[in-house]
Amino acid sequence: MSDSGGEQRIFVRKASGLIRTASGTDTFIYNLGLVSVGLGVVSIMFYGPAYYPGGDLLLSCLLAGAAMACIAFGFITWTVTLPRSGGIYVFGSRILPPGLALTLSLVEITAWLFYCAIAAYWIILLGISPAFTFIGYITGDNSWVELGAWIIEPWPMFLIGSGILVLSGFILTIGMKFYLTIQRVVFILAVLGSILLIVVLASGSNEDFVASFNALMGPILETDEPYQAIIASGRENGWAWDGTIDWEQTWLVSNWPFLPLIGAAFSIAIGGEVKSVERSQTYGMLGAIVGALIIWLITIHLSNSVFGYEFLGTAAYNLLEGVGVQTDPTITLLAGVLTGSPLICVLVSLGFIFWMWMWIPGMHTFGVRAIVAWSFDRVGPEPWSRISPTRHTPVVAIMFATAITVMFMALFVFTEFFSAIVILIEAAVLAWSIVLGAGIFFPYLRPQIYEKSPIATKKIFGLPMMTVACTLGFFAAQFYFWTLFLDEIAAGHDPKQVAIVGGIFVIGLVFYFVMKQIRKSQGVDVTLAFKEIPIE
Amino acid sequence: MFWKKKKNVGDKVTIFFATDLHGSTVCFKKFVNGAQFYGADVLVMGGDLTGKAVIPITEQDDGTFIGFQTGSNVTLASQDELDEFVNRVNNQGFYPTIMTEAEFQAIKNDQVAQAKLFKKLVVERVQEWADYAGEKLKGTDIPFITSPGNDDFFEIDDVLNDAPHVQYHEMEITEVRGYEMLHCGGSTKTPWDTEREFTEEEYQSRFAELIPQVQDMSRCIFNVHVPPYGTVLDRCPKLDENLQVVFDMGNPVSMQAGCQALTDTITEQQPLLGIHGHIHEGRGNIKIGNTTCVNPGSVYPEGILQGALVTLSDGAVESVQLTQG
Repeated sequence: MSDSGGEQRIFVRKASGLIRTASGTDTFIYNLGLVSVGLGVVSIMFYGPAYYPGGDLLLSCLLAGAAMACIAFGFITWTVTLPRSGGIYVFGSRILPPGLALTLSLVEITAWLFYCAIAAYWIILLGISPAFTFIGYITGDNSWVELGAWIIEPWPMFLIGSGILVLSGFILTIGMKFYLTIQRVVFILAVLGSILLIVVLASGSNEDFVASFNALMGPILETDEPYQAIIASGRENGWAWDGTIDWEQTWLVSNWPFLPLIGAAFSIAIGGEVKSVERSQTYGMLGAIVGALIIWLITIHLSNSVFGYEFLGTAAYNLLEGVGVQTDPTITLLAGVLTGSPLICVLVSLGFIFWMWMWIPGMHTFGVRAIVAWSFDRVGPEPWSRISPTRHTPVVAIMFATAITVMFMALFVFTEFFSAIVILIEAAVLAWSIVLGAGIFFPYLRPQIYEKSPIATKKIFGLPMMTVACTLGFFAAQFYFWTLFLDEIAAGHDPKQVAIVGGIFVIGLVFYFVMKQIRKSQGVDVTLAFKEIPIE
Repeated sequence: MFWKKKKNVGDKVTIFFATDLHGSTVCFKKFVNGAQFYGADVLVMGGDLTGKAVIPITEQDDGTFIGFQTGSNVTLASQDELDEFVNRVNNQGFYPTIMTEAEFQAIKNDQVAQAKLFKKLVVERVQEWADYAGEKLKGTDIPFITSPGNDDFFEIDDVLNDAPHVQYHEMEITEVRGYEMLHCGGSTKTPWDTEREFTEEEYQSRFAELIPQVQDMSRCIFNVHVPPYGTVLDRCPKLDENLQVVFDMGNPVSMQAGCQALTDTITEQQPLLGIHGHIHEGRGNIKIGNTTCVNPGSVYPEGILQGALVTLSDGAVESVQLTQG
């Protein structure tokens, strides 16, 4: 069978329901918002030079982008074949044992809800607090500095962070229209913040920055040349770089651009609402990856030029290790120092904060959709899918998800152990890799579904396109699972933390089998929700 | 509480309800087979049986065929490719029809001829389905109940009325395993001006005609194709003047497209259950007062049958399970 082009040979009648939805541009915006471009660049520039000296940040971004493109390719074939909303739960439940499908979904949602809490925590720790501190430095008003220090104490941190999470839940409860209005404003402000940061960096030089930094921070750090002092003390305390590219560090530091890039595939959650699904999802996912990479590459290049790679590395290293001369080297704040303007500092910091905010309701929504889907399939309690008659939103599921995020916030703030459970991201990546791995075999195991896919006739090297794409995606996801596993800074493999991740998988399986028994006692067979009805 | 064990009483009835198959043969076969698969006592098809597009497969001079698939024309070079293509198109809910290139050129700009062809193929498909249901359900006491959706041509009424194992009802109250079922098809007005549309005032009149015929509202099932207005069951993407979905920040803007007269009637009358369709995106299970209302939604183009297993026991809704088979 071959494509012969020409006129469209189809007769369509007037009938309702011919509506499939989001364009490539819409999907692109959705995904780009969930990449959190600002958070990505700030975390890359904060942790990259500090803990991965010699790691080439530009190459690491390209490596992460290439891997994420492979993962996106795999998910594109999944969502084209099963264009429904619900993410990996929808995909997994069509081919994997129901208990495993639910478990993978639960693991993924646990990770995303945990990252909602982390985003709220970072808004305070990396956004609001440093901004207050630098406003205090620039204006000479110490009360701002004290306020910046106070809000990162445990209780203020917990209360403000919980407030942010509850606000996210409240917005979702009000309804999608209200949420979208908020997100539109936030997205525009976040993009403007990123553009402002690039403009500020492009108009400055390293000489300008060193002069401004030394003038501002000299009295505060009680040294004549704090810029040089920070570098010197960092090197004295163990930060080492010989000026050449370290390929191992380049590989490991690519975890940092990879983590936010995961958001580029989140449009699998709205697969049922995307029109021209093959083209839109391709443009949406790959476009978000390319768009984020362009902003990152420009910002990283300019930051290295203006602030200096060595300075960024030693400053963050000193701060994180508690050694030498210390200051917060978050690039949004350094941009404020470069201009000497509290207004620029506030605007760029707000852009960064807004990018992080984009994450919270986005991931919150992702979690809520999955929770509602579990309830629909009777593997979750019925109230989770209860819809408010006035707001038309799943209020119970939203409140439940919000409560989980607040609980994670408490664990993150009040316990040292849980503040290091970022390896949950490994669990989510592992869950993705399993679903992508299942996709390799989907065309062979579910031919009656695959044959209706728009890509059913497309072959690569004689193999179904889905098989090839999911193979690439599986290996890319596995590659980053192990990269994260081997990187103690980004995630790692602390045995206790690995046990917690394993525990979440176990909880998922236990949850499924408990619900299955409960439903059985009520005369409901939950496995029916997942089974294919025989045709003949 | 969700874990409360329900009593197993004698008059338990399990209904398997699906809707809006729009010509998908694979989904229809799954629906009929769903009775045995799910252990259902009653099959209810909620309307919109008919599909939306005819796919002409035109024979070329060189013996190949040209068909249309996912936005482009494809050449079918062998009988196997042709058979596979026809099967796929059938399962997607479209109507394949083989014709010469000359016939295609003659009909492609003739709306009347296209409409005639459409109805012929739709009636043939419905007849095939009715025969299939009759064969599969023969010897069982499982009733196959259906009523029309807004997209269903009136020409299918005779086929379904004449089918021996199909109970086709419209604007009637019938008895189903000790429960009453109110049948009211069609929909409120749509942007497409489809076959069976009614205004809100007409729906008020229709319900006013049916409600007095119900003996016991607490044991009545509303089999109404259109869902109640202002609920999650009637939420669908908002369209602009070109029938394109309106988006905001990458997310489709939603609107309500149900029937207010139905909402008012359910609120006032409080039947036991409402089973609805029409809005494919409106998959859900809600309560309006004490009335459980269900829309299983539809994803028929994927060949996946979305349904709802509703178990009634002792005059109450014991459970509702949404399925994807």
